[in-house]
Amino acid sequence: MRALVIDDSRAMRRIVGTILTGFGYEVREAGDGRQALDVLQEGSAEGWVPDLCCIDWNMPVMDGLQFVMATRANPAFRQVTLMMVTTESETSQIVKALAAGAHEYLIKPFTADALRDKLALLGLLPEEVSA
Amino acid sequence: MTVTEAQPISALLDPGTVQSIADEVWPSLVGDGEAFVPVPVPPSAELVSAWVDIIGPWTGSVVLTCAPATAEALTESVLMTRPPTVVDDEDVADALGELANVLGGNIKSVLPGESRLGLPQIGSAPSRGRLDDVCALVGQWRGNYLTITVQGAAPAPHAERNEVPQL
Repeated sequence: MRALVIDDSRAMRRIVGTILTGFGYEVREAGDGRQALDVLQEGSAEGWVPDLCCIDWNMPVMDGLQFVMATRANPAFRQVTLMMVTTESETSQIVKALAAGAHEYLIKPFTADALRDKLALLGLLPEEVSA
Repeated sequence: MTVTEAQPISALLDPGTVQSIADEVWPSLVGDGEAFVPVPVPPSAELVSAWVDIIGPWTGSVVLTCAPATAEALTESVLMTRPPTVVDDEDVADALGELANVLGGNIKSVLPGESRLGLPQIGSAPSRGRLDDVCALVGQWRGNYLTITVQGAAPAPHAERNEVPQL
């Protein structure tokens, strides 16, 4: 399994990345939506397409919602599961993100178990972890 | 035109709500078993703050303030670093900023109306606005002084110069 963690906070990228690595994911990182699109393009050229993107909402340069819309508009990344991981917890924001094409929504702060539950719901938890 | 004054944060938020948000943030971000304890201890002479702005029906900042040494220790805990690894200023700005961001995002969600959250900033705490537009939680983490302050924005300096003159 492969994941791209997109957050302007290195601390949060490290926290999410560490949890995902523990679940057996190979993780790459990006500090904003623009960088993340570059990682997707470069990865695609070498055959690295993530199964999952964990996306913060509020970031400089390109925010998480813009990234979701840009990714959804590109047929090459139609199979990528997009999960918002953000402090934006109002229902209106959740609806906006899901309408833009996000598949799941995890509100910060969260626990490793909460992330694991979301991955299980999405069918993205490796068998050896879910067993 | 009638100008209605926004409600102060003291009418919208109580320290108990801020504490319950901190109770969720600390174990998740700072580490298992970690807690912000609402028992004040004396502040140190030098302080550093990280904050995020909330812009909406209520406009102001959520400010986390502590001593630089506490900020460093918090960062080590957030990043799970172990000696001999040392954290640098960029790590501290990032970790303290993310703590303020998560606190701010959750505080925004309990305020009425739709608001926008700014990006984290670090430095000397921003100026406060009205005296009653403050909800402060003074406490400690591992025995070190730490405050979480939700404060209204200070009025823009020379605001009267922006008024359109009546002809």
